Amino acid sequence: MISARGISKVFNHGLPNEFAALHPVSLDVSLHETTVLKGPSGSGKTTLLGLMACMARPTSGRIFLNEREITSLPERFLTEIRRSTFGFIFQQFNLIKGLSALENVMIPAYPTGEKYSILRRRALESLEMFNLGQRADARIEWLSGGEAQRVAIARALINNPAIIIADEPTSHLDSIQSREFIDIMTDLKAKGRTIILASHDPIVYDSGLADRVVEMRDGRIANEIKSS
Amino acid sequence: MALRRSTIFLRTVAGLVLLLAMIFLHASNEVRTSGPLFARKNALVRQLELTDLSIFTEATYTRHLSMADISTPFQDAQMSLDHFPSGALVEPPPHLLRNHAQLD
Amino acid sequence: MPNLIERQRHIIDFTLSSLLRRKGKNCALLLVYTLIVFILASVLFFTHALKREAALLLNEAPEIIVQRTLAGRYQTIPIAWSDRILKINGVISVRPRLWGYHFDSAFKANYTLTVPAGNPPQQGSIDIGSGISMMRGANRGDIIAFTGHDGIPRSFKIRNILEHESQLLANDLILLSEEDYRDFTGIPADQATDLALRVRNSREYGIIAEKITRIYPDTRPIVRTEILRTYDALFGWRSGLLIVIFSAAILAFVIFAWEKATGLSAEERREIGILKAVGWETSDILLMKFWEGTVISLTAFLVGIILAYLHVFFTSSALFAPVLKGWSTLYPAFPLTPFLDLGQVATLFFLTVVPYTITTIVPSWRAATIDPDAVMR
Repeated sequence: MISARGISKVFNHGLPNEFAALHPVSLDVSLHETTVLKGPSGSGKTTLLGLMACMARPTSGRIFLNEREITSLPERFLTEIRRSTFGFIFQQFNLIKGLSALENVMIPAYPTGEKYSILRRRALESLEMFNLGQRADARIEWLSGGEAQRVAIARALINNPAIIIADEPTSHLDSIQSREFIDIMTDLKAKGRTIILASHDPIVYDSGLADRVVEMRDGRIANEIKSS
Repeated sequence: MALRRSTIFLRTVAGLVLLLAMIFLHASNEVRTSGPLFARKNALVRQLELTDLSIFTEATYTRHLSMADISTPFQDAQMSLDHFPSGALVEPPPHLLRNHAQLD
Repeated sequence: MPNLIERQRHIIDFTLSSLLRRKGKNCALLLVYTLIVFILASVLFFTHALKREAALLLNEAPEIIVQRTLAGRYQTIPIAWSDRILKINGVISVRPRLWGYHFDSAFKANYTLTVPAGNPPQQGSIDIGSGISMMRGANRGDIIAFTGHDGIPRSFKIRNILEHESQLLANDLILLSEEDYRDFTGIPADQATDLALRVRNSREYGIIAEKITRIYPDTRPIVRTEILRTYDALFGWRSGLLIVIFSAAILAFVIFAWEKATGLSAEERREIGILKAVGWETSDILLMKFWEGTVISLTAFLVGIILAYLHVFFTSSALFAPVLKGWSTLYPAFPLTPFLDLGQVATLFFLTVVPYTITTIVPSWRAATIDPDAVMR
């Protein structure tokens, strides 16, 4: 369970361009369900997602991961938690250009010092799972949008995280690719992973994937719909 | 499976370090076995009463650097560069630049 | 422990892949860097070996040479003066040295004429240095002619060619008998070029030199320590345009390397953000940057040093020859004994590898500490 207690985020604090992306918000996310944060751009959903996934510290408030307070942990531990607990899928995929698909998938596991042969095999298996076995040595910029998205998913899974975080995962995909993505996520959910998405794409929040949709607006939680 | 890049790099560095070590060994071996060579050369220095190395032969003061007098090499000023290229490489002997306290 | 090594190797893998993306640029950088190390190391190796060689060889030079000066110029010295000098306490022997130069107008070369202290050639025959032998194509038993001071050519039979190994000492020498020398140069029988003294105790050099100048105020004694000091100062860092020009080249490289290493592009900044977001720590990023600097600088250092050694001690510094040669016609091939100074190699390491690596790491420091959520914005 991830519990956010009155967290807020202010960017450029104290500067003329100070901007409050998130007003104090409290939210509990259960690890047994799939949560979708829904809302227009600028509604604070990406910021909330980032804070819950230990990507940044809130300006105020506290976050608990399985009852452990993580807001005040030093950077090293925070990184450790981020690496082992969360897998990230970004809006712009954020793959590293010039490197092969295989290398991109392996990157999150590099700091763990896992044995090369084992890591490589796992990465290849993961790529094969997404029908990318043939493309393992291809450079990122040679891949199509859908392929790049699947490489990004494979990368998110390499450290075997309990929680998958996806920020606007379908914004660069067409409808067919978006449905493919939903299928993959549904599959991962069935395998027991927790998924938290931020999206304003109806394909995502109207799909059967979401157990819970949290609607956000202007940095606040506006509405909550729980399916089932 | 192709070799890992780090393997190629580390092997290259290891190879280069090994080569460097061989160079040091070669150098120390050459120096160690140069005794008789230096004995022969030293004998020549004694026999011919040599005072200088035969590196720059174009001018008297560069051929016999240590024997140069004050006026020849630096006709105009003590540190003026002359028209021989070697003049750009060698300094005037230190004992010409600094006065010998006991001799003045 | 194996984990730590594997982590380093993963990061090296990543760094190399990342460097290979700009293959042309990084290869050019590596090449220029290697060239700089190569030239710098060649200069250091060459000068150090030459200085050591000079120190070891000239340690056997006469303890004191007494020159006579006349109106500030160097003159022949009366042999009779040696009697009074010999009476000075501590002087074992005084020997008049006969030497001088001969300009061979046919070959535009300067030779050094010397009458050896031991084993002089008989009248009518000479020993020549290997440089002269090679240039004139003259061998043992050949007859060779030089024009004397009076314009009349004299022919000599070559008794011996001085060993090739002693090129650095005897490349341009012509050894001849005293009679031939005086006949050839016209120096009167009671005069010598200078006087060579053997002295018992090295601590007396100064006192003896002082006594000589008191007896003969127009002489200039040159003490062996001064000879050694002259060669120790040879190719000192202050001497020579070479160093000036070279330091300009180094500065240019520093600017280039600085530009290359510090110019953290928006692209690189974004990549650091991505790496942090997917679970790399700040220390992992810095480690990656450390390897980025090390891969280039260490390779360049090792290759440069090895090539420099081969250049100086196997090709006799072939690339420096045009600079050192100047306008002299006779030039030794520098078969130097490879005296290496480990301290110098270490200094070179700290002057090349360390600064480059640091200039690679430092600018990424700030980028490495950004919040990883920057890539989400």
